[in-house]
Amino acid sequence: MENNLTAAPIVKKTLIGQRVRKPDAPEKATGKTRYINDMVLPQMLIGKVLFAGRAHARIIRIDTSAAEKLPGVYAVLTGKDAAGLKFGFVRDNVALKDQVRCEHDEIAAVAAETEEIARRALLLIEVEYEDLPGVFTPEAGALVGAPLVHQNFPGNKSLSFEFKHGDLAAAEALSDYVVDNVFRPHHVTHCCMGTSCAIADFDHNGKLTIWTQTQYPYNYKMDLAPALGISPGDIRVIQPPVGGAFGSKLDVYPYEPIAALLAKKTGRPVKVIYSREEEFKAAPTRQAAIIHMRTGCTRDGTLTFRSADVLLDNGAYTSWGPTIPVIMMRTTSGHYRVPVVDFKAQAIYTNNPYAGSFRGYGNVQTTYATAQQMDMLADLVDIEPLEFHLKNAQKSGEVTPQKSFLRECVLAECLETAAKASDYSRKRKEYAALRDLPGRYKKGIGLASSIHNAGGAKIHKSDGIGTILKVDDFARVTVITGASEIGQGIDAVITLIVAEELGVPLEHVTIVNNDSDIAPWDVGVHASRTTFIAGNGTRRAARKAKEQILNAAAKMLDEPAGTLELRGGSVVRDNCGTPLIELDRLLRRMHFQAEPELVMVSDYYEPKSEPEGAKHISDHSAAYSHAVHIAEITVDTLTGEIKVDKVTVAQDVGRVINRMGLEGQIEGGIAIGLGYALSENMRIEKGMLTNPCFRDYKLITAPEMPPLDLHFIESNCAEGPYGAKGVSELPTIVIAPAIANALYNATGVRIFNPPMSPEAVARAIDETRQAGGRRESE
Amino acid sequence: MNEIEQYLAPRRLDEALQAMANGDATVLCGGTDLAPQTESGARQYTAKLLNIRRIDGLGGIAAETDQVRIGAVTTISEIRCHPALAEIAPVLVEAAEHFASEQIRNAASLGGNLCNASPAGDMIPPLLVLGASVELACWRGGAVQTRLIPLERFFVSPGKTVKLPEELLTAVVFDRPAADFVGKFRKSGPRPALEISTVSLALGARIADGLLSNVRVAMGSVAPTPLRARHVEAALEGKPLDAASIAAAVAATAEDAKPIDDVRASAWYRSHLVRVFLEEVLNDVRGN
Ligand SMILES: Cc1cc2nc3c(=O)[nH]c(=O)nc-3n(C[C@H](O)[C@H](O)[C@H](O)COP(=O)(O)OP(=O)(O)OC[C@H]3O[C@@H](n4cnc5c(N)ncnc54)[C@H](O)[C@@H]3O)c2cc1C
Repeated sequence: MENNLTAAPIVKKTLIGQRVRKPDAPEKATGKTRYINDMVLPQMLIGKVLFAGRAHARIIRIDTSAAEKLPGVYAVLTGKDAAGLKFGFVRDNVALKDQVRCEHDEIAAVAAETEEIARRALLLIEVEYEDLPGVFTPEAGALVGAPLVHQNFPGNKSLSFEFKHGDLAAAEALSDYVVDNVFRPHHVTHCCMGTSCAIADFDHNGKLTIWTQTQYPYNYKMDLAPALGISPGDIRVIQPPVGGAFGSKLDVYPYEPIAALLAKKTGRPVKVIYSREEEFKAAPTRQAAIIHMRTGCTRDGTLTFRSADVLLDNGAYTSWGPTIPVIMMRTTSGHYRVPVVDFKAQAIYTNNPYAGSFRGYGNVQTTYATAQQMDMLADLVDIEPLEFHLKNAQKSGEVTPQKSFLRECVLAECLETAAKASDYSRKRKEYAALRDLPGRYKKGIGLASSIHNAGGAKIHKSDGIGTILKVDDFARVTVITGASEIGQGIDAVITLIVAEELGVPLEHVTIVNNDSDIAPWDVGVHASRTTFIAGNGTRRAARKAKEQILNAAAKMLDEPAGTLELRGGSVVRDNCGTPLIELDRLLRRMHFQAEPELVMVSDYYEPKSEPEGAKHISDHSAAYSHAVHIAEITVDTLTGEIKVDKVTVAQDVGRVINRMGLEGQIEGGIAIGLGYALSENMRIEKGMLTNPCFRDYKLITAPEMPPLDLHFIESNCAEGPYGAKGVSELPTIVIAPAIANALYNATGVRIFNPPMSPEAVARAIDETRQAGGRRESE
Repeated sequence: MNEIEQYLAPRRLDEALQAMANGDATVLCGGTDLAPQTESGARQYTAKLLNIRRIDGLGGIAAETDQVRIGAVTTISEIRCHPALAEIAPVLVEAAEHFASEQIRNAASLGGNLCNASPAGDMIPPLLVLGASVELACWRGGAVQTRLIPLERFFVSPGKTVKLPEELLTAVVFDRPAADFVGKFRKSGPRPALEISTVSLALGARIADGLLSNVRVAMGSVAPTPLRARHVEAALEGKPLDAASIAAAVAATAEDAKPIDDVRASAWYRSHLVRVFLEEVLNDVRGN
């Protein structure tokens, strides 16, 4: 059809903002996907871990001789096999312990022919413990003379953070109203449907291949290496499909080096996989905290200051959990215009399970406090809450005290959109008036909002991504990218962007992104960054390929450069859409001509954000965004049950890329946030988890998901791909305080220690009634 | 760890009972309690695993006569969808309605729910207010022997009943309730689906000329076994259903319900819910 000017023109149809399904959806829906949990390698052994099952103890004696003699057992390892191989943020962890600091401490590990044999071998290991007094709250851990969790961390002090901006005393003097509360956000865990699993195998050069669920394959090598005493260069990370991560795979956890140590010892591949109970006990948690927050404002409703004094339950080891103040200190006041900020946080070692990172990272806890204090202040000032929020809302161009530059800020638009769609102001007044009248069921409406980084977070020196893109002789495109797929849908976004730029069908794009020996570097899936960062990387690589292709086409077809475009699998004239040559034919000609050329390009994209530095104060993200949730609920004031009737969401998404993926992220984020708000709770008694099963640890299930009314506000981020911003953490962050505010609107009670379980709500209402009236915000 | 040496799935009751005769068989019906319990190590398999679901005559609901008979392997789904039961004993169907999820209801059996003897077993309170008995069978003296035990004497403690290891629960029977019988069931838990009851409560009574008689009130999860709330019943027996009798009945719950704190709820909340539910079901009946 070359130069066939009678061919029908191909019209430009953009894919940006369309609904595109995840490429792996059919496989997952039909059960064809082979998750890491399903993988079996030839000669593979099964590793199992002996957990301490007590919170704090000395190991007097450990005898593995009977286990070693059991036929089918290939290795039994204990603390001495990992001695000195410290890993973790502050090098306080080892794969196998010689002392017990928390319930799930790994005391011994076995590699055996079958899981059955491994289980039996564990039962044959004799351990004699001497239990020690423990510390189970950060307050107890901070007391003088408290038992030490680690001898080399006096006072049980782990990480600490501080940020001060402006004159607090002066701001307080200026304040007509101050709210002052202590919030105690609780322990929850990720509950990935695929439990933790790793398979390790060494080759004869001592190079380790590890199949794992990690969501940060490159820095992972650096974190894993010290736990094994090998070089990061000798680690190859392969990431098979995973059943969820949500932040839980953003660090190295002991089962991974354990699999590797067992593989090293046996010379065979070893797989460690957790049962659901082991998963509950051993997986990281969301960081529990005690937040003493104060916020002030003037009589006309202008915010004057906010202070937060935060105590974190570090647990027994330091993973990402105690680092959440990095985000807390920003979001404590980065959101509304708070001129004076005073933030400090101290993490205290305890003998509790330890926290990792979890979708919403610190901001879930902060926003539970800030958004309720905004609601309280609105009532104290006696100003229409929407007006109060708008009055203090930041605008484009402002820089927060923490140096976040809000280049495109549409908080006001989010507030107005959500309030209008839900008829917020009218309902809030109406429900408050009905609150103290008789009646068992009460309706409430609550608004909450927050800010989060939406273009990565430069917590490392680089927040970049490498991308390699090739187009073959048949116009099939392969994108080799550092961007990990953990179910969040970057595969669909990459496919969509390549199809958009190169005019090829979605099905003609293949992604290679699960082998650290093949794909180039990336920081990992976290900080709502992947669509933003990998989206930019993919677009830049695709545009390089396109330029090469169109230059070749212009030359070959003798068309003026800059007038051609790729569309519908062909090279077309951009202005009229007339097809000139099919893309695959062109590519073959390029390849097989006298001066052959192949289309293969690479790109390294580094976002324009600033590294955080020691104080964590900088413009650390390439974009920031806001979300507003308005929750409408019905409360059974007798049983305390909260039914969420509807949630209205207005979120700054920059620009919609894959509409279906975006909806999925917001719905999934809200499901996690609802569980946090209403039902999920790790009940830890003296360091021991008492509900390690889904019967007693209650996730939100499908019938409880409320109808969602989603409004995507497009602020068109200058730095984002096609204007997009990162979206995935805000939904989890904002929903809980929206419900808390609705609960207050309905009943006059507030729950400072989530979850807002039926029992907690019933008790609070009952206490209020006993006290003969509405309990004021304490 | 005990190993299963033999798996049996007999078609005939006598075969099953003979296999159980020396008390070393683990009975498997839907497995919805057994599997999680053995998996968690709370309980061990014995040498024989005996699947009772294929035994002729152990299932089915006979509701045509004066006595209603429900076979032990009848699933919760079958109870939930049985038109005659919905007429005769809606309180039982209501409990089936609030039981677990579709998948679990399709597997879970009535016999398993009773033999598991959980204080939270949802089918128990409604059967208690229907005055049900359980039929137990065993192989003795070369023949099948049966005995009938009133359900309220069946439970001993959590997980324990008076059933002997060699006995199989074959059926649940109760007299067809009188025409003026009303029954109500209420259970709670923090989420609407797939919930183990925090507490449950059933009411059964006859109402004639505005007066209550034959009052039965049963509660789950407020004591080591599901129980009949005798004090509450006494407060209602022979009374008209009015604000005073309801208040007296609600006050009497304190005498009957002696719950504990556990991972699912505190004693305070359970006592509170019992009062709320009792008042609610009594007002419901009063409203009709
Ligand atoms: C996810 C989930 C949700 C659940 N939700 C609920 C709920 O909402 N309400 C509720 O009440 N329960 C619930 N359960 C518990 C369980 O489903 C019920 O108790 C069910 O009725 C048990 O029946 P089964 O046939 O599965 O019993 P099985 O597990 O097969 O047996 C239970 C016990 O009874 C014994 N047994 C069974 N049948 C007989 C018999 N005929 N004679 C002698 N011994 C026998 C078995 O040996 C075993 O000890 C739930 C369970 C799960 C896993």
